[in-house]
Amino acid sequence: MLANYLIGLREGLEASLVVVILVAYLVKSGRKELLPRIWLGVAAAVAVSLGFGALLTWGPNGLTFKAQEALGGSLSIVAVAFVTWMIFWMARTARTLSSELKGAVDKAIEGGRWSLVLVAILAVGREGLETALFLWAATSAATRGEGSRTDPLIGAALGLATAVVLAWLVYKGALKLNLSKFFTWTGYFLVLVAAGVLSYGVHDLQEASILPGLYDLAFDVSATIKPDSVIGTVLKGTLNFSPATTKLELGAWLLYVIPVMALLIWQVRSNNKSMKSASSAAKKEVAA
Amino acid sequence: MSRRTLSLAVAALVAVGLSGCTSNEPTKDSSSGSGKLAVSSTTDKCELSTKEAPAGNLVFNVTNKGTKVTEFYLLGEDGLRIVGEVENIAPGLSRDLVVRAPAGKYFTACKPGMVGKGIRSDFTVTKSDANLEPTGDDKVLADNASTQYGSYVKDQTEQLLTQTTTFVGLYKSGKDDEARKLYADARMHWERVEPVAESFGDLDPKMDLREADLEPGQKWTGWHRIEKDLWPPKSGYTKLTPTERTTIADQLLKDTKTLYTRTRTAKYPTDKISNGSKELMDEVATGKVTGEEEKWSHTDLWDFQANVDGARIGFEGVRPIVKKKNAALDSSIATKFTALQKLLDKHKKGTGFKLYNELTPAEIKELSTGVNALSEPLSKLTAAVTL
Repeated sequence: MLANYLIGLREGLEASLVVVILVAYLVKSGRKELLPRIWLGVAAAVAVSLGFGALLTWGPNGLTFKAQEALGGSLSIVAVAFVTWMIFWMARTARTLSSELKGAVDKAIEGGRWSLVLVAILAVGREGLETALFLWAATSAATRGEGSRTDPLIGAALGLATAVVLAWLVYKGALKLNLSKFFTWTGYFLVLVAAGVLSYGVHDLQEASILPGLYDLAFDVSATIKPDSVIGTVLKGTLNFSPATTKLELGAWLLYVIPVMALLIWQVRSNNKSMKSASSAAKKEVAA
Repeated sequence: MSRRTLSLAVAALVAVGLSGCTSNEPTKDSSSGSGKLAVSSTTDKCELSTKEAPAGNLVFNVTNKGTKVTEFYLLGEDGLRIVGEVENIAPGLSRDLVVRAPAGKYFTACKPGMVGKGIRSDFTVTKSDANLEPTGDDKVLADNASTQYGSYVKDQTEQLLTQTTTFVGLYKSGKDDEARKLYADARMHWERVEPVAESFGDLDPKMDLREADLEPGQKWTGWHRIEKDLWPPKSGYTKLTPTERTTIADQLLKDTKTLYTRTRTAKYPTDKISNGSKELMDEVATGKVTGEEEKWSHTDLWDFQANVDGARIGFEGVRPIVKKKNAALDSSIATKFTALQKLLDKHKKGTGFKLYNELTPAEIKELSTGVNALSEPLSKLTAAVTL
């Protein structure tokens, strides 16, 4: 039961965190009217995953292992590209928001409207197929009616529910932050999430033999942080941390985190500066 | 972030998805009877209903009877390459792993708790009639390679037949000088496609057997029998009589005609082409670079060149597949072919080559190093092409 619960929790966290931050951002920046697009993206990803999962489980054709991994891996890497774009898009509009303190209509967002849908699709769809395959397997076991076989399904559902609750708490917490803190913290957090997704994508491609070095480990702490433990599950679900990380995964992680984090710090600083100069300009006006 | 980017991404993903389709139907004559191989994974055991299955689509139905989340892997013979895997098999659940597996040795592994090397055991996939032919783009590339190689073999055997006809004519009528001049050139067409001739087990020994390889009681015919007669040892050799010459010569021509006829319709799957390339380089290593092939005429470098030609053509045919699947191997093989050809070019003389006995030991060593450098990556060609 616990094992199934943890799978649900892990997959749920992986899928929901990016979406939650996106939603919090739209609410905080007063663009609630865009929320349906996010939900549209989420719904599309869930529907496609469940449909595809059912097709692969019961249909005449399945995906080869290599194709499954190649698909998952490249989807992850595409997701990283979109989340990175989103991080900087948020930081950029934050600047516009802070310089136009009255919250005038923001045209910068115009181009990004449909991309929001796509970010939501990718964030959920990335883990969606795997989760769907799991759920269908649990469902078919349950419908075969062998008593305890509903356990996995209930366990996974509880795990998913917990993930949603946790995500909701993150959302509430994020709403309490003031705007500049919100951008700073969620931005940094998303960089770490995206880096995790990238290294996970690299791992998938290594498993599919598209990239080399699957057994060339940088470190292996799986004895301390067991993958099936609660801490292992949460680390995996949030940061995509793998206790046994290959050198290539670590390399990709570092190559992503260092420059992107540096760029974001730079952007946040220049945002603060423009905010200060804007407010000092306002003070001068008052003084005059 | 335009819609174009979006549609491109979607198109790319659909393409990946479609090219990776595999049938969920297991191979019909699976030895387990039910068509599915049952795997039971517990906390400390990984039991399979059978240790052997015929090649084709295999379905491993993995049931987790333990208390920890488990994973199941099918690994290649090296124990490293992942042929297929299912993750997240929760306690009480069963999930299927579907793989298309060619004959060979494998390992199965369950990983309760998802850590470590897993609980491993041997698994064998036996040969079967299941259709494991490549599909989609790969099939187009494979078909192209077969067609091209087929044309090459046809062309070479045609030229071989023409030149052999002339050669045996000269030899029969005692025009030994002219026959000697034609010998090496005519044989090049043979050496270029030798793996094909060798695949017809009856022809090769009759046509290309060396005296040293004669088994007791075996009749010596073919090219090297004539070679010895044209370049006889200084003592202890009696030249063949005109009647004996005619018998040997007619036999060679007859066998060449048979080879010609059979190669009109022969088919060449990609693994046959890539293996042929490797065999040709092995021929160079065991016969030509040692000077054993042309013991009497010493025209080993002609054969050497022809073997390299044949190997290169085979490689070039399957190259689009290799490029797609293992670009590093492709460039390594290509570089080494060029390097070896440069070494050979050093020994060109007129329209032909130096005789083997004119080479210095250092030069032979250099050639041999070049051959080995090429053979090493070439030995990985078939795996790269077929897997």
